[in-house]
Amino acid sequence: MTFVATVLGADWQTLADAFGLGGIYALMAVGIGLVFGVLRLVNFAYGQLVMAGAYALAFAYERGWPVWVGIILCFAVVVTLAVAMDWVVFRPLRGHSPAVMLVATFAVAFLMQSIALLWFGPLGKIAASLSALNQPWTISGVDIRKISIVATAVAAGCLLALVLLLGRTRVGLHMRAAALDFQTARLLGVRANRVIGSAVLVSGLLAATVAVMLTVQSPLVTPDFALRDTILVLAGVVLGGMNRLISATLGGFAIGFASGFLGGALPTNQSQYLPSFLFAAVILVLLIRPRGLFARAGQQAVERV
Amino acid sequence: MTTTPVLELDGLEVRHGAVHAVRGLSLTVDRGEIVGLIGPNGAGKSSTLHAIMGLVTSAAGDVRLHGRSLLGRRPEDVARAGVALVPEGRRIFAELTVEENLRLGLAGRGNGKGDGALRGAFELFPVVHEFRSRQAGALSGGQQQQLAIARALVADPQVLLLDEPSLGLAPRLVDVVFDALQEIRERGLAILLVEQRAQRTVALADRSHVLSNGRLRLTLGPEAAGDSETLVSAYFS
Amino acid sequence: MRHAHAVLELLAPVVLVVAVALFGTLVSSSTQTYVITTLVNVSIVVALYVFIGNSGVLSFGHVSFVAVGAWTAGVLSMPVAEKPAIMPNLAAFLRDTTVGNVGSLAIAAGVGAAYALIVGLPLMRLSGLAAGIATFGVLEITHNVLRYWEKIGPGLNTFSAVPETTGLGQAAVGALIAVAVAFLYQRSRYGRMLRATREDAPAARAVGVSVYGQRLVAFTLSGALAGLAGGLYVHLLPVNAEVLYLDLTFITLAMLVIGGATSLWGAVVGAVVVSAVDSFLAEAENGVHLPGGTLDLPSGTRIVVVGTLMALVLIVRPAGLTAGREVPLPRAFLRGVLTKFSA
Repeated sequence: MTFVATVLGADWQTLADAFGLGGIYALMAVGIGLVFGVLRLVNFAYGQLVMAGAYALAFAYERGWPVWVGIILCFAVVVTLAVAMDWVVFRPLRGHSPAVMLVATFAVAFLMQSIALLWFGPLGKIAASLSALNQPWTISGVDIRKISIVATAVAAGCLLALVLLLGRTRVGLHMRAAALDFQTARLLGVRANRVIGSAVLVSGLLAATVAVMLTVQSPLVTPDFALRDTILVLAGVVLGGMNRLISATLGGFAIGFASGFLGGALPTNQSQYLPSFLFAAVILVLLIRPRGLFARAGQQAVERV
Repeated sequence: MTTTPVLELDGLEVRHGAVHAVRGLSLTVDRGEIVGLIGPNGAGKSSTLHAIMGLVTSAAGDVRLHGRSLLGRRPEDVARAGVALVPEGRRIFAELTVEENLRLGLAGRGNGKGDGALRGAFELFPVVHEFRSRQAGALSGGQQQQLAIARALVADPQVLLLDEPSLGLAPRLVDVVFDALQEIRERGLAILLVEQRAQRTVALADRSHVLSNGRLRLTLGPEAAGDSETLVSAYFS
Repeated sequence: MRHAHAVLELLAPVVLVVAVALFGTLVSSSTQTYVITTLVNVSIVVALYVFIGNSGVLSFGHVSFVAVGAWTAGVLSMPVAEKPAIMPNLAAFLRDTTVGNVGSLAIAAGVGAAYALIVGLPLMRLSGLAAGIATFGVLEITHNVLRYWEKIGPGLNTFSAVPETTGLGQAAVGALIAVAVAFLYQRSRYGRMLRATREDAPAARAVGVSVYGQRLVAFTLSGALAGLAGGLYVHLLPVNAEVLYLDLTFITLAMLVIGGATSLWGAVVGAVVVSAVDSFLAEAENGVHLPGGTLDLPSGTRIVVVGTLMALVLIVRPAGLTAGREVPLPRAFLRGVLTKFSA
């Protein structure tokens, strides 16, 4: 009963937070889903790109550089790392089984995390140049933190841009075709490396965007920054359905919204088991609908044989 | 005027592990020519096309386009060099619209605007134009085949390779496809047609090579189409 | 010939384990802890191998069984007098009972098997990516529940005051048990059937092998071994939920992958080699004296090195250091056996 009462009694701030977190997770889901689409590779190390971006922001903040310099640095670092990851890890692994690729990106995730530990130490750095966004805006008598609204808006904007990119541009069409049937796309002259490079680039840009917004919410950057988020997003992506970007995105949003909302609305002694419920739901979905909650019938299974 | 043919296979060998799929195949296709490649299942017809496209690596021999070797190139680079393949089973992107499928064909052009090419394809296949904003998966088999050929043509290739375009089509639709090939030939393309329908292929093509066990057995001219005895013996030799 | 190979297949890992244990008797007591940890790692990696190696299905969830085993053995073997301080909310029947070392290990293995069976019943239908994600979910759920459910253990606290009974001898016996069980299993009808499903699942199905059933058998068995290893672990040093989570999952998977996931020999070699590297680096992180100077590596070097090693092996040599073969034998000999094996 308390559960229902608390959930129904959730305030506007909790709702806005949930939307913000859902939006951020949706962006991460897109970043993971895009690369999965063209490479059939679940990038476990995606969160470490976000972590690297967060360190870049902290680096700039410590030196008192202006916000925009920090953001540019963040984007530069994350995109460089994403492209490097493609060259050093993804390309040599192309054609391996999905399980091998998953284990390999798992290794890369740990590698990057411990490099961060070596480099910056375990205590963490502060990235607070945008902390003003934690101040509330008062909208018709209701206080809502700015970041919740900004995150929702930025996520919506990014997703819209992505829809335009995929739907209206040549490279977008090529990416969609490659995700559906890479070999036929190549036979038509779609350049594999360019398509994969574009997907990696866009996923890097999204990771950098996520880094900027996550540091507003939690300015303390540690080596395991965004690790938990990535695990949840991965679960959400599988929950929604890996095979379609739209279902992966919805899954990411859903899990972000759910964890933001329930985490905010429930008392601690109930919300501490939230991860268990979320992952139990993921396992249930994998068993009942292996293609995901939002995938259409008739889709190919998770892996192509 | 050059004397080099548009497409030339020279002693091509393809192996799948221990299996010799194609053995020392040589043939040429020139502008405005249809060359048929017929033979029973497993004769090496598809393997030949895959080797041209760079989907499988050839063990020996050469594939040349205007005298330049295509070997060792990636499939997308072969396509962009001017070789378009209409793959077996059409391989239409069912989830994309008809027009999007056609636009994908533009990927083989390298660069430049493709609206003219799209128009050319629409002229040849009015049905593709009619359904251009539908999902390609909603088209019938014959329409999908027309779309697949149109998609290949949009790339403005010099060579068109077709892998059993008549497979699974009703006789009336086979006519549509073969008539279209006739017209494409008149536009000056070099066409290499892999088919199971021997008689029709021999009748349409300028010359047809009979392949068996990966080896070229016999070359037939159009006049052999009426001679079913020759055809039958060619197949079972 | 086949018989000779079978003997070697068991003997080589056994000799390696015994050699490691004997090496442990020669070194200082602080180094000995590393040797004991190495032997416990061998148990965990062999447990992983029994499922992953034989089935070809990925599991990120095995550390859950290690954790459950550690919880079982830790809670049961902690002296009654110590329990209230560390586990104030423990359920009554656990609070008032204490089981000895060997008993608690046996129960840990049993609980590990039972948990793996329960988890495996639904999950063994999955393979590939889905299996990877689902077993990862199991790890998350187990970690989450062990962290917060104080009726069954210390929650966020550390298992201090557990008798530290895992010495060199016990760890070696544990590792040998794991190796022997893994060997007997892979030589058994069940093991051979599961390996057949790994090579060609449809063909195995066509001749009447239940892929699901065989995977479940291996999963349960490896759950038992993992539970046992968890028990050994908690009797070695004070652990908590964080120790039995992502890092351990990573490092043990790395051991399996680096050694070569498809052979028992590979699993044992991987565990020993990576543990050795890891121990040396851990020591070096605290500063180690070498001929020619002091090596003092910053903390975190271990995982950088092991992670790089793992990524490299996956990219350059996906079958692992041992190339997934059993004991290195003359090639012709090996080929003869292998063809028989795959036939």
